[in-house]
Amino acid sequence: MVGGFSILLWVGAILCWIAYGIEYSNDPSSSLDNVYLGAVLALVVVLTGIFAYYQEAKSTNIMASFSKMIPQQALVIRDAEKKTIPSEQLVVGDIVEIKGGDQIPADIRLLSSQGCKVDNSSLTGESEPQSRSCDFTHDNPLETKNIGFYSTTCLEGTATGMVINTGDRTVIGQIASLASGVGNEKTPIAIEIEHFVHIVAGVAVSLGIIFFIIAVSMKYPVLYSIIFLIGIIVANVPEGLLATVTVTLSLTAKRMAKKNCLVKNLEAVETLGSTSIICSDKTGTLTQNRMTVAHLWFDNQIFMADTSEDHSNQIFDQSSGTWASLSKILTLCNRAEFKPGQESLPIMKKTVVGDASETALLKFSEVILGNVMEIRKRNRKVAEIPFNSTNKFQLSIHETDDPNDRRFLMVMKGAPERILEKCSTIMINGQEQPLDESTAKAFHTAYMELGGLGERVLGFCHLYLPADEFPETYSFDIDTMNFPTSSLCFVGLLSMIDPPRSTVPDAVTKCRSAGIKVIMVTGDHPITAKAIARSVGIISANSETVEDIAKRLNIAVEQVNKWDAKAAVVTGMELKDMSPEQLDELLANHSEIVFARTSPQQKLIIVEGCQRLGAVVAVTGDGVNDSPALKKADIGIAMGIAGSDAAKNAADMVLLDDNFASIVTGVEEGRLIFDNLKKTIAYTLTKNIAELCPFLIYIIVGLPLPIGTITILFIDLGTDIIPSVALAYEKAESDIMNRKPRHKKKDRLVNKPLALYSYLHIGLMQSLGAFVVYFTVYTQAGFRPSTLIGLRLEWEKDDVNDLEDSYGQEWTRYQRQYLEWTGYTAFFVAIMVQQIADLIIRKTRRNSIFQQGLFRNKVIWVGIASQIIIALILSYGLGSITALNFTMLRAQYWFVAVPYAILIWVYDEMRKLFIRLYPGGWWDKNMYY
Amino acid sequence: MVIRKEKKSCGQVVEEWKEFVWNPRTHQFMGRTGTSWAFILLFYLVFYGFLTAMFTLTMWVMLQTVSDHTPKYQDRLATPGLMIRPKTENLDVIVNISDTESWDQHVQKLNKFLEPYNDSIQAQKNDVCRPGRYYEQPDNGVLNYPKRACQFNRTQLGDCSGIGDPTHYGYSTGQPCVFIKMNRVINFYAGANQSMNVTCAGKRDEDAENLGSFVMFPANGNIDLMYFPYYGKKFHVNYTQPLVAVKFLNVTPNVEVNVECRINAANIATDDERDKFAGRVAFKLRINKT
Repeated sequence: MVGGFSILLWVGAILCWIAYGIEYSNDPSSSLDNVYLGAVLALVVVLTGIFAYYQEAKSTNIMASFSKMIPQQALVIRDAEKKTIPSEQLVVGDIVEIKGGDQIPADIRLLSSQGCKVDNSSLTGESEPQSRSCDFTHDNPLETKNIGFYSTTCLEGTATGMVINTGDRTVIGQIASLASGVGNEKTPIAIEIEHFVHIVAGVAVSLGIIFFIIAVSMKYPVLYSIIFLIGIIVANVPEGLLATVTVTLSLTAKRMAKKNCLVKNLEAVETLGSTSIICSDKTGTLTQNRMTVAHLWFDNQIFMADTSEDHSNQIFDQSSGTWASLSKILTLCNRAEFKPGQESLPIMKKTVVGDASETALLKFSEVILGNVMEIRKRNRKVAEIPFNSTNKFQLSIHETDDPNDRRFLMVMKGAPERILEKCSTIMINGQEQPLDESTAKAFHTAYMELGGLGERVLGFCHLYLPADEFPETYSFDIDTMNFPTSSLCFVGLLSMIDPPRSTVPDAVTKCRSAGIKVIMVTGDHPITAKAIARSVGIISANSETVEDIAKRLNIAVEQVNKWDAKAAVVTGMELKDMSPEQLDELLANHSEIVFARTSPQQKLIIVEGCQRLGAVVAVTGDGVNDSPALKKADIGIAMGIAGSDAAKNAADMVLLDDNFASIVTGVEEGRLIFDNLKKTIAYTLTKNIAELCPFLIYIIVGLPLPIGTITILFIDLGTDIIPSVALAYEKAESDIMNRKPRHKKKDRLVNKPLALYSYLHIGLMQSLGAFVVYFTVYTQAGFRPSTLIGLRLEWEKDDVNDLEDSYGQEWTRYQRQYLEWTGYTAFFVAIMVQQIADLIIRKTRRNSIFQQGLFRNKVIWVGIASQIIIALILSYGLGSITALNFTMLRAQYWFVAVPYAILIWVYDEMRKLFIRLYPGGWWDKNMYY
Repeated sequence: MVIRKEKKSCGQVVEEWKEFVWNPRTHQFMGRTGTSWAFILLFYLVFYGFLTAMFTLTMWVMLQTVSDHTPKYQDRLATPGLMIRPKTENLDVIVNISDTESWDQHVQKLNKFLEPYNDSIQAQKNDVCRPGRYYEQPDNGVLNYPKRACQFNRTQLGDCSGIGDPTHYGYSTGQPCVFIKMNRVINFYAGANQSMNVTCAGKRDEDAENLGSFVMFPANGNIDLMYFPYYGKKFHVNYTQPLVAVKFLNVTPNVEVNVECRINAANIATDDERDKFAGRVAFKLRINKT
């Protein structure tokens, strides 16, 4: 991770050792500082690497827990014997048997099938169970009915098949290899870090070379000049930044995990923030992934049902007699049942045995009527015809719970037009009325309207069987149908939809204001897709598709100017015929796009199209087939609940709750982390100058060295670490969800104003402040600034033990050495004090600190406390350990730099003030980073 | 995670650089127009002008905190160091008797070093003080009153004075003189009112053997209290540092001898582990005879 950075540190470490080698060859007794420095640099890289690895391993562990690593078994017929073998031992030509609940062990062609149904959703995205038979029905292997695919599940029935492909040659295997073939390339943040490393390295090398030339022309020996060169380059390396960035990213990853975004790859944290297009699935992500009753039609009226997650609030009129009948049909003509043992769970959370529609009806009636099972018990079922695709209806006959009524009740539900055919009367306000033209028309209007909303509509009817013809003892035979199935009484319609999650519309609005385009990609019917898109705001209320315009203006679709429509609904078939250019045009010119009836493979095409436009694309997916698209996307988001393992493996992030709104939270976090990383880097870069200047002055002016290498390390890896991490906890300055996504090329992490402001403004002030402290220490001990100039050579000679100071006193080498260390300590403390001011000003980039709140981010204060405590320990606790070059510093020297710290704060407040006063002005352009 | 990397040809890079340096369309030089450059330069001029002023001001304030005649803190100089003359590289006094050049530089240095000690100069500038007690000169209300210094005459150095000496401080005969001096420390009352002297010895037993006998000038290696305290170079202009000369009489030739001289004074510790020159000085002596 953050590769360029580690390389920078490695280069630094190696340069250190080279410098020591040069020094050693000159003078075997030279100090080991450079060796330590190199070692520390190497250690930082290694430790950070381990930390990052540990972080990612942790998410990988969570990933691993998703996939149950049970070795798969296959029942195979070999040597005329049924054997169970591990499925990887299957070869082409093996005959395998499968039954309901099995995973298909390889791609097989069915030889026989008894009511076999498979779930191909992970492969095709189609969530309906597919029946399998031995008949060849289509040229396309994905469409034909006689092939079962590896890794799909057999839901019911049994089948025998011959293995035709195994392993990587299976359809799934090919997709998986396609996914691994899509290169895993650099994340935006990695690019930004690389750019930053380029800047730092550029500054380091050019400064180094400039001072090398200066040193040589000042008649320093070339070898020494090379050591200076290396020293300058190494001094520019921000040792602590790699660790800080890693910790910051993983803190955010943790925070996101709490909000149900599990980040697999640390760098992906930020990628989400720069996302400009989200290609989202519909089912499960935008919607709740369960059929829910949305509308009812009875008494010639459409009623709306509550479709929110908990269903609590059913407010339609329940007083009508028709509703009483309808509710009876709902409860009785339904085979779905709650699984036992869930009494304590809320109704909506209970698991149900039964298909999606029946489940919806069951829950709906349970909410309104109470204990459905009890009602069913009271109305004993005497006969039943289950739903099948030829009948398109379901029928059951019950005894009624009315002890005075000995008639049987026949209830029926099914496709509305089929139900209506069988009816001769209709119930209005609890009264049966003949079904005439006008009521039939009303029915049709309602049916069309509900269908137009993309909802699945069911019709309901009933009939009380006359007691004289059907006495209590009558035995119903469902094969001969010895009961009437026409001239029934139509009761009502009920429509269902997989409703949007209640948090999604808000999230979509947020995306829109954040300049993120949300594209829906679904396998569903265009009408349903469009309806959901409208209800969540992907197609906003006032925008129209070409079809809408055509309808409004009453002209043919072809006559409409395509670009008048903001929104577009494109089906997979249309997409197939599009050239890449046409797709680009479509993506560029419509702000609201829904792709319907698309296959998962087409998702890849859409993603590529978006990327051609220069967008950073986030893609959600759950099926195996989505994995190439997930890989291809800038950030692939897999669904934690519905997602297949392959999708989770290919993704960079896993949404634990499958909720689109969580993505938006992720985006917010991602943007925040980008801003905060900027602040962290600015904070860290600043003191680089204050650490570098002393060395430059030492070379040019010949002062005794103001700050030593080890002392610098204690700043970079000691006092500065916690504060820079603390900036990651900073709240957003302005509403970050109200600005456009970051432009990949223009909005850099480290831009020119940031570098200039850190280096040449704040950094320089810090250096001056630190030098004042340095001169104070030396002057008060006897060496005035004028004496110090050019003193370096004599100062460092071990055999000069009577060096004269400004007052004529004479100093031994050790006495000078001790003073030098006091100077280091003073310089260190000065930088620390000014870094406190730097930390405070970096809390915001535009707003005043007082707007942001000085105390809102408590961690900052922990950071400041840590700085002070570490410095106190180093100076007073370890003051006697000379190996670390710290001495006990007089109390007043701690405050000498305070005026400069205040100056830094005031200056930065001024900078921010002008930026706010003149947005877009000269100052803003040059000073806003 | 996909980035389409466009590879730029070399010519394009050069072209881009050219355009960066001078963009004829926008009249930008290095990414800025003329006015923009003017603005930015003006800004930095003002900004750095301000910083310079600020730095100067704080430095000036800081300099007000120290006085001209005594440093604010002297805690580092509690123990004055000792040092030898001639000042040689790594404090190795090496004398090749036959090779005049090897010691001539030492002699030149010593001549120069001892010149201010000439009796005539001393008589002209300095007072004759009463030996055995500090020559204290309180300001008596007159701020920073110039201080007088006591005479240390070159003749006090006896055989090592080098006056009319054909042996050049003994260097030509292999009986070299080494001069010991104690570092100046302002307001330091060396010896705490008791007499003090410098003693020399070989560092280890074999060194002591090889060192042979030596004589000291003034006798016994005494340093008189009257040369203290020192009032700083600004007000104690003609201060003459007391010296102790050691003349090594019969050093075993062609052997390196480690000599250590230390001061015996009540208030000067000579056992600092870290500072090898606190109250003492160690040097190497080697007389090469063929």
